[in-house]
Amino acid sequence: MSRAPKSHPPPLSLVPESLSSARNGATRGPAQFNDIDWSILMARAQSGDAGAYLRLLEEITPYLRAFVSRRHTEPADVEDTVQDILLTVHAIRTTYDPARPFRPWLIAIAHRRAVDRLRRRRRTRSRETPLTPEHETMASPRSNLLETRSDGRALRKAVEALTPGQREAIRLLKLEEMSLKEAAAASGMSIASLKVATHRAVARLRKLLGKRSGEA
Amino acid sequence: MITTPDLVTVLASNLAPVRRLRPPLARAACWLLVAALVLGLLAVSQGVRPDLFQRLQDSTFVMSMAAALLTGILAAVAAFMISIPGRSALWSLLPAPTLIVWLSTVGYQCLTEWVTLGPDGIRLGEATRCFATVVLTGFPLSLAMLVMLRHAARLRPVAVGLIGGLAVAAITATALSLFHELDATVMILAWNLGVAALIVALGGAWGRKIFSWVAPRSPLHGD
Repeated sequence: MSRAPKSHPPPLSLVPESLSSARNGATRGPAQFNDIDWSILMARAQSGDAGAYLRLLEEITPYLRAFVSRRHTEPADVEDTVQDILLTVHAIRTTYDPARPFRPWLIAIAHRRAVDRLRRRRRTRSRETPLTPEHETMASPRSNLLETRSDGRALRKAVEALTPGQREAIRLLKLEEMSLKEAAAASGMSIASLKVATHRAVARLRKLLGKRSGEA
Repeated sequence: MITTPDLVTVLASNLAPVRRLRPPLARAACWLLVAALVLGLLAVSQGVRPDLFQRLQDSTFVMSMAAALLTGILAAVAAFMISIPGRSALWSLLPAPTLIVWLSTVGYQCLTEWVTLGPDGIRLGEATRCFATVVLTGFPLSLAMLVMLRHAARLRPVAVGLIGGLAVAAITATALSLFHELDATVMILAWNLGVAALIVALGGAWGRKIFSWVAPRSPLHGD
């Protein structure tokens, strides 16, 4: 961090001022000017010019992002791959020969890193099982609808088989979830008789539904 | 997770001047010089095979050895070429013609001499000395190539491992022909081609892993 000059070096002599003024690679002039420009910047970076290197990396980043997005669709993958490429460029910058064009050198590295990430993604996918609606059956209430319906039908049938007093007690206390006091007020029955009716109703329902599941 | 602009700043602030690699041809020549040195030292310590001059009259033997040597030289050039980003992958085909000549002369020798020598051609006493030659040639040359091509770890580890392995294997086979009486049918196959195939296979299969040990470190992990 100690040697992080934020100022950029003056425009390079080989590149016309009009062309080197634009910062973004996509808005630059013809490709060959970019290439010569980047080539010189890399040559200066190799001899330790941090300003030239910063400018080079800033200029190739949008270019690399465009290159990588043609191969990856996930934005996170694109950014990770661009960072991989930048790290590789940094690690093997000794291999660049300024006598040769810069772009093929960069593209070779970019292509390799993009392919590496595609392979890694494929490997990860091969170990993972994507979630399908079947996996959601237990979690999703809607997918349990059929089962609920059939259970409900059986319960309603069993409730109909109860005596009117028991049916009323079950409806108020269990289905409408009233308290004993509320149920007593609503039905006009005493709390004690409600309790007895509920107890008998539950015992009878258990017997009815138990017989049904035993038959099944 | 670091953002890309932050990464760019970190990389630029960690910049140290670096020395450019010499052209691939010059580097291949350096490696071949090391190979010549190793072969020279072996010749001094082990001595060439006693019947070398007699064998040099045999055109098949000369062609086989020359093809092996040329395969070694061309494979070394190809390995150094394809280790540089942006160079055509077609360079890896450079040693193909001499490799074909080498393999076919070895095959021809096997075919003709099997008839004259028969299975008695197998001599196990020689085998241990052959093994020593293989190790003494193959190991330093592989190590030298590994160190010289460490930057390829990030690029084409398998291809470079394969072609580099072929260079080492071909030079080792040349050494075997120079120092050992191995023209006896099965032994040629077992030693020349067996060792070559083993080295090439090791280079191809383990290239990625071996290169990752010597790969240049990322600046984010303490360059």
